[in-house]
Amino acid sequence: MGTNVDLSVRIGANTIPNPVGVASGTFGYGSEYRGLVDFSDIGAIYTKAVTLEPRPGNAPPRLIETPSGILNSIGLANVGVEKFITDKLPYLSTLPCAVIVNAAGATEDEYRRVIDRIENVDANGVFGYEINVSCPNVNHGGLAFGTDPAQVERLTSSLRKSTKKPLIIKLTPNVTDITAIAKAAEAGGADAVSLINTLVGMVIDVKGKKAVLGAKTGGLSGPAVRPVGVALTYRVKRAVSIPIIGMGGITSADDALQYIMAGASAIQIGTANFVNPKTASLVLSGIRKYCVSNGVPSLKEICGIAE
Amino acid sequence: MITHPTQFISRALDNNRLSDGFYELELEWNSHAPAPTPGQFLTIRIGNGKGTVPLLRRPFAFSSFDADSSVVRIIYQTRGIGTEFLASARRGEELDVIGPLGTPFAVDTDRSKHIIVAGGIGLGPMLFLSSYLTSRNISSRFVFGCRNEGFIPSIKRFTAANPLICTDDGSAGFRGTAADYINANILPDINTDTTIYACGPLPMLKSVSKIAKDRNANCLVSLEAVMACGVGACMGCVVPTVNGYSRVCKEGPIFNGKDVLWERM
Repeated sequence: MGTNVDLSVRIGANTIPNPVGVASGTFGYGSEYRGLVDFSDIGAIYTKAVTLEPRPGNAPPRLIETPSGILNSIGLANVGVEKFITDKLPYLSTLPCAVIVNAAGATEDEYRRVIDRIENVDANGVFGYEINVSCPNVNHGGLAFGTDPAQVERLTSSLRKSTKKPLIIKLTPNVTDITAIAKAAEAGGADAVSLINTLVGMVIDVKGKKAVLGAKTGGLSGPAVRPVGVALTYRVKRAVSIPIIGMGGITSADDALQYIMAGASAIQIGTANFVNPKTASLVLSGIRKYCVSNGVPSLKEICGIAE
Repeated sequence: MITHPTQFISRALDNNRLSDGFYELELEWNSHAPAPTPGQFLTIRIGNGKGTVPLLRRPFAFSSFDADSSVVRIIYQTRGIGTEFLASARRGEELDVIGPLGTPFAVDTDRSKHIIVAGGIGLGPMLFLSSYLTSRNISSRFVFGCRNEGFIPSIKRFTAANPLICTDDGSAGFRGTAADYINANILPDINTDTTIYACGPLPMLKSVSKIAKDRNANCLVSLEAVMACGVGACMGCVVPTVNGYSRVCKEGPIFNGKDVLWERM
């Protein structure tokens, strides 16, 4: 395999070793996959969303399989920032991949306090933050922020003051114009945007005449949503100059390269982790193989190349 | 020694029809993976990555584990695409497996009476538990409930459990459910010295759990839920318990009956 292919990705002032990350909510806090994956193949692990207080999450059922996808309504169930710091961060800090904390909140103050708390205890264990302004499964889980450009810009610039580490704003596809939100994140000082979070969906049990999920609606992910993610990556690439981290239905190197050619600098594997925990390794080796066989020295050469 | 679950490519060794409704798949177990214990499960990637329907891995409880030959078995019903894939598995077919997963039955040796209750497809893990108890010289009673006589397996591991059979239509054994049988026949024998182990349909688990509560007996139930990761990461398979929402794949699938908030199930 070619060792002269540069797969590192710069985000803000820092660099992740390779473009393949594992998406928030699909990889817990890393330790759940101990022994099942090679963490040195993973460029970045995006943690389960961390909120100021622990959250129990939504009433079950929370999950249903749909054609080539899954619909979930987890509802940001997480241990809260204090337990994250004491119970989860020590293990994450031992991993060779970049640790990116996905932060969520109901108010601007809650987001800021999550980041401040981690900044106060951690110097090196955390690479950066992904700000979840796009969870479709809670009433005040960010989607209220994520659908309004003015609020995204204000939240981003407020959080910018709390950290010098890479700040990534995670965008929702459930808006009329995602480029307006991406531009707002850039204007607020974000180092990158990541997209897409899940699409709002619903499945009804016809026999029982009711919604299958306890929360009625959920977020759709998996291969079914990939063309949506690729298209929105393509549009956002033409609207901002900060890096884009693309995700949505990636299961193979080919899928990942679609996002990269649409304009993504890095990608995240989400639902596919459930199908095969080693997906990130397979995608990384496939990307490297592609670069070697096609004489691509760096992914920058093909980022956004598709016209 | 490895204590965490392992992902490996296994091979189907045999696929047997147990009765009108049940099949049992026999597959190789990776000798480097931890030994499965009763109550635990594995997940199988259906279709081995050919296509995206169905997408998620499917969980199956172990129905036996033979350490000497490194062979495990799972009992299943053909109910959808996933189980039809299993039914079509020929000898030598490769299967992408992760396991063992979940928290097993904690056998309570302080109590002297053990009653195993299996309903329908809940038979699998209970057969494993029955042989596990027997191998440790712990005697147990086995109550099996199913729809009709067509579901009754004829394999030796089943008859060795000396099962008390109940059928909904009365075509074999006791007419009624497993819980009906317990209520009618062995209630006085259930007390603080008893552990009831149960796997089966939700109404059965609720009834058995109530019996145990009324009689001050210990009760361990195996629960089911749609799972995505199977390893405790996604929080998708939770059930309501006295400890908040608990993951069927991690804290479970075995729960103490008194901890489950049955009215919210």
